[in-house]
Amino acid sequence: MSDTGARDKENGALTAAEYVLGVLDADARRAAERRIARDMVFAREVAFWEERLGGLADAVPELVAPADGWARIEAALGSAATTEEPHGMWQSLAFWRGLATATSALAVACLAALIYVGAISQPGAPLLARLDAEGGKPSFVAAINTNGGNLTIVPAALLGAEQKSMELWLIPPGDKPHSLGLIDPNRPVTIKVPKDLLREVSNEAVLAVSLEPLGGSPTGQPTGPVIANGKLASL
Amino acid sequence: MDAEAKRRQLSAALNRVAGGDRPALCLVYEMTSAKLFGVCLRILNDRSEAEDVLQDVYLTVWRKAASFDDARASPITWLVAIARNRSIDRLRSAGVVRFSQPIEAADAVADPAPSAAQTLEDAQESKRLKSCLDEIEARQSAAIRSAFMDGLTYEVLAEREGVPLGTMKSWIRRGLAKLRECLER
Repeated sequence: MSDTGARDKENGALTAAEYVLGVLDADARRAAERRIARDMVFAREVAFWEERLGGLADAVPELVAPADGWARIEAALGSAATTEEPHGMWQSLAFWRGLATATSALAVACLAALIYVGAISQPGAPLLARLDAEGGKPSFVAAINTNGGNLTIVPAALLGAEQKSMELWLIPPGDKPHSLGLIDPNRPVTIKVPKDLLREVSNEAVLAVSLEPLGGSPTGQPTGPVIANGKLASL
Repeated sequence: MDAEAKRRQLSAALNRVAGGDRPALCLVYEMTSAKLFGVCLRILNDRSEAEDVLQDVYLTVWRKAASFDDARASPITWLVAIARNRSIDRLRSAGVVRFSQPIEAADAVADPAPSAAQTLEDAQESKRLKSCLDEIEARQSAAIRSAFMDGLTYEVLAEREGVPLGTMKSWIRRGLAKLRECLER
């Protein structure tokens, strides 16, 4: 009796290792998976080997994933994704800001995803813009919901400008800049775009951020240097 | 960012994914897709299949993130296990005996990525595994390594090495038993 028990235990341990190693055929793999679900000792064995053998993956070279990889995943998630409450979005941002400083390029793609999730909770297709500083370093990501007129702009890098105000401008093609108001370099800001300006919001328009005296441009036009700009585009 | 901070960040992101946070999934993807794509392509040896499976891997992560327990598993190991399982299942379902190429050939199929995930791995754990693999018989450890990398069945491994099936089974099984002994020491 105890002998059989010991042999079962042995077999279980061996099968778990073989499952993790990947040498079992399809039928044996399904059987192992069913056993993981009902046999805790076996499941622990599998976890043991996954953790220990996992290090062998070090030797596998990393490869650039397909360019449309994330887009395909987003498309597949589609409506299955939860529509986040605005509250959840801000929480997300707080988590997320810590990392933007370390790897801002990586962060931009995710920021776009973040704003997008916030934006699709309202009707109307959002337009997105990545505002790059000189040299192509992303500084802000913005999304406008053309239906409701809400514009959310999120800093993607740490920008210090305590003695200045940052002012956001909408520049329609062939037109002069229109102020959208002041933004905060340290946190996301949502701006309600005035109705008459909303008509100018299109794929061709550009968003720009300029440095202005505290309180904003005294002239109604940008007076300081433009520190970041980018063209609006639909998703 | 040091390795420990990266691991914590990846764990935190996985915990957020469990709560339905899509941007957190994006972050997990950005941090790990190069590693997991490498793992998938190594097993499948076919770029378009590896791309399909990679997508499937992150959809699985989206659904199963709640079962990730950072007290019990390291995040990268948990992700690699999903990537390997999905790839091996695809390989088996294709029903073809595919002879995986040596590492050099797999490299030629795609661009190498800067090693973003490397620091995610537990260096101490890997070191221990390597020293234990060095302790066991060379052909046993070689068989274990190659089984893990390529996700091949005993039959295919035996054929590839030109040894009887029973011999391959016994190399790997004995190797695993000794490896376990060493790892638990």
